[in-house]
Amino acid sequence: MAEIVIDGITYSFDGKPKLLDFILSKDKDVPFFCYHPSMSAPANCRMCMVKVGQYVKNRETGDYELDDQGERQIRWFPKLQTSCNMDMMDDMIVHTHETDDLVKRAHKDTLEMILINHPLDCPICDQAGECPLQIQTYKYGPEGSRFEVKKQHKPKHVQLGPRVTLDAERCINCTRCTRFTDEISQSHQLTITRRGDKNHPTTAPGTEFDDPYSMNTIDLCPVGALTSTDFRFKARVWEMNQTPGLDITNGKGVNVDLWTRDNVVLRITPRHNPHVNEYWMTDKGRDAIHLYNEERLSTPAIRLHPKDISLVMSSWDNAYQTTQEIVESTDPKQILVLGSPYASVEENGAWMQFSEAILKQLPSYTTHIEKGSGDGFLLVDDQAPNTHGCELLGLKKRTKAAFKKAVAEAKVILSLHDDYIERGWLSEEEIKGKTWIYFGTNHTQMAKAATLTIPITCAVEHTASYINVDQRIQRTYPAKETKYTNRRLDLEMSEGRLDRFGTKFDHWVNEDHKVDCKPLWEIVGDLSLLWGHTLSYRHGRDVLDALGSKIPALEGVTYQAMDDQRGLLLTLSETQEASS
Amino acid sequence: MSDWRTYEPVLIPNIAGLNRLETYRKHGGYDALHAVLHDQNTWPDPASVVQEVKEANIRGRGGAGFNAGLKWSFMPPADGRPRYLACNGDESEPGTFKDRKIFEYNPFLFIEGATIAAYAMSITTIYVYIRGEYRSWIHKMEKAVSDAYDAGLLGQNILGSDFSVDLVLHSGAGAYICGEETSLLESLEGKRGYPRVKPPFPSQRGLWGRPTTINNIETLSNVPGVIRNGADWFKSIGVDSHPGPILYGISGHVNRPGVYELPSGMPVMTLIEEVAQGMRNGKKLKAIIPGGSSTPILPAKDLEDLTMDADALRGAGSMMGTAGMVVMDEDTDIVETLWRISKFYHHESCGQCTPCREGTGWLEKILEKVVTGQGTTRDLDLLLDITSQMEGRTICALADAAAWPVRYTISRFRDEFEARCKPSLIPVG
Repeated sequence: MAEIVIDGITYSFDGKPKLLDFILSKDKDVPFFCYHPSMSAPANCRMCMVKVGQYVKNRETGDYELDDQGERQIRWFPKLQTSCNMDMMDDMIVHTHETDDLVKRAHKDTLEMILINHPLDCPICDQAGECPLQIQTYKYGPEGSRFEVKKQHKPKHVQLGPRVTLDAERCINCTRCTRFTDEISQSHQLTITRRGDKNHPTTAPGTEFDDPYSMNTIDLCPVGALTSTDFRFKARVWEMNQTPGLDITNGKGVNVDLWTRDNVVLRITPRHNPHVNEYWMTDKGRDAIHLYNEERLSTPAIRLHPKDISLVMSSWDNAYQTTQEIVESTDPKQILVLGSPYASVEENGAWMQFSEAILKQLPSYTTHIEKGSGDGFLLVDDQAPNTHGCELLGLKKRTKAAFKKAVAEAKVILSLHDDYIERGWLSEEEIKGKTWIYFGTNHTQMAKAATLTIPITCAVEHTASYINVDQRIQRTYPAKETKYTNRRLDLEMSEGRLDRFGTKFDHWVNEDHKVDCKPLWEIVGDLSLLWGHTLSYRHGRDVLDALGSKIPALEGVTYQAMDDQRGLLLTLSETQEASS
Repeated sequence: MSDWRTYEPVLIPNIAGLNRLETYRKHGGYDALHAVLHDQNTWPDPASVVQEVKEANIRGRGGAGFNAGLKWSFMPPADGRPRYLACNGDESEPGTFKDRKIFEYNPFLFIEGATIAAYAMSITTIYVYIRGEYRSWIHKMEKAVSDAYDAGLLGQNILGSDFSVDLVLHSGAGAYICGEETSLLESLEGKRGYPRVKPPFPSQRGLWGRPTTINNIETLSNVPGVIRNGADWFKSIGVDSHPGPILYGISGHVNRPGVYELPSGMPVMTLIEEVAQGMRNGKKLKAIIPGGSSTPILPAKDLEDLTMDADALRGAGSMMGTAGMVVMDEDTDIVETLWRISKFYHHESCGQCTPCREGTGWLEKILEKVVTGQGTTRDLDLLLDITSQMEGRTICALADAAAWPVRYTISRFRDEFEARCKPSLIPVG
């Protein structure tokens, strides 16, 4: 095993790791901008400089050469080396800024150079607060600037594509964005143009940056040069809460961070998970903010007369009693219960138990797989986040024809999430005269056509798990409060600076952002009481525990284990495998 | 050096019509290639050619001065897959204009040299990268290459042997940085001219990831002579440590500027006074830039007894570079000269590495301040400090090339700079 001495401490290593990688893995700090662990290292920012040398060995004997004091002789490299592209070798000696003034000076010099043409508009820059340039300047930079001549001016607010805006003056030319389009998304849409201090990333003339992964460049950008057209100037980073979550816009189960302020999801960024998405996510997944914030079903609503155009608000008790009346006045054979691959394992599980106990039937579901829309990366054919979850629970899968037949035969339908009308599987004509009770999150066309709508929490308002296309079960955290939850009491919710130090009367608080909805398992529990059953679940965990005792694959699956191992890989049985 | 008057040029000899293939062959052209391919006794294998060139110690004429044969020997053993020779005719350094003489007057000498090099290293394709502004020289080369193909001196089964090699001409697009060997490769690949990080070196992973050697045009033009006359003949020309003929490109305030082929180690004063026939208008010599704009300037007082070879120039505090000597007379404004040189490097920095991208612009802007009389003595110290922030901190040597003129011009002509500056007592640090 080879050995290396870094700042006087000896480490052993195998293989040929890159020096920067290794130093960072030892919890030491080396500043860098252009380096990214999953892309090539161009070594162009010249920030991660270290001093490197090697012990001198006698060629014949193989012994270390010693100097007058009996210390091993060191042959230093003539120049400082960038650690990001430096292969580690046996007997190497490395001095970082912690032990070497020359390295410290080099960091200071490089930062001074980077900053001379940087606009220093941190007060109005979106990146401020999470900006590597800002952070490293505070840590390693010079006290002031000696630059007293005119800065280089470059294009500002350039719309590179539908979702990404460029401020070329802030760019430090690290080429992370162009390397992303070359190496990760492979759309080759970005390149650097012009020379020297005039250069900046851009697209080819007449083309736009519409890569389905384009917004990852915003996260990659170590300064505020690439910003989100949508999120630009919406919020300061330090005002937001950051909550882990999942991308539910397709079946890949991309790990994300949800950034909320005052219970509005303002942006979604990818969260590192080496098993699923590494550092990336799709642009479509980021668009889910509209799903979480806008057009939400809030408070149950009911159509008083079949000919009424709209529904009127109702109380929760009234909604429950109406449901009971409808169900009890109908032949159980004419009731259809529909689960959904858009709902979590817990929701479908509670739904199934309710259906089996009271309606004496197994819920059915339809998959939403669009063949050919996957790209082998993060876009997959399965458009629903939990198809495997429905399979695992043993819900009855129906094809389009079987589904249409079942709907035609039913008088009362209880459905979850899916918008069959928007999808073109049902027309409003076909559900005329039927009583449709819709448990959903948004004002979909289905909600508008329903007889009774009962609002349920969405993926960012509860703790629940989803099983992705690779059969990995992962869970969400509540990021938004509902009318019935409280950030300070729910220990799973993140608490941002404003939540902690602000008061109820601060002007930024808007109670209307809290949606009047409940988790499906609570609703199911409340409903079952009317029939004398007690399916009492207070938390997703209760449902998961209950399912664990019934379904072998879920035995021992806990949120704790999912957190520890970045999701758990389930082994679904052969038959379930085949049916998918 | 006494024999320079009797020296017979070999790279650009005084023979009319040498740029025509039949004339070139009549004067011994392609004898060297023929010998290498067919004379089994003298040249049993490609390695023997490499050995001879290494022995001759042709120090790279592109500026680095590295033994060409040694460079060839770094190529890994042939594995049947493509390997490349890239010939660097980008020649964009201000003060350098030697290769175009070869393109114009003796193109087949270079093509023959490149073909021998290709044979020696089992190269499959030769790329010749010519500066884009050399439009008419590119046309001359196109004609020469097509003639060589027609005569079976390039392409399949050259001179009836089983050795085949192709030669592709490539025109640059006006970027100085594409003369740097690795960005030349990037440019050949159709990419932006960004220098590559070394290691891996081009001999391991060069053009399209395959082993590649990059040689200067003048370097390769010396190869046929070495093969024909032997390494000892080559070493007998000029000084021992830097042997062979050199194309001295003399420009500036002299009576007869131009490219002169003479042995290495010519005394600088002889080049100015006798070869270039003295200073224009009888002015006094002030300084020279010995080998292209990036090499440190030398004041007249340091030029007595100085010879043009790598070791002597290093001893005097400068470099051989490309032997493109810029001569400046007493009327030259050193401050403005330096500003113009800095402007060039600012314009040509590719922008990849931070110290060069930002530093070159900063240098130029401060020098502009000094030139227009806005500068202070503090600015001079700041300039020196910035050069220390640039040198040795970048991927390629452009930052060094930009920093050296500033550093050495200010330190060697500080009084002239201070005369243009207002005094300042504020420290730089």
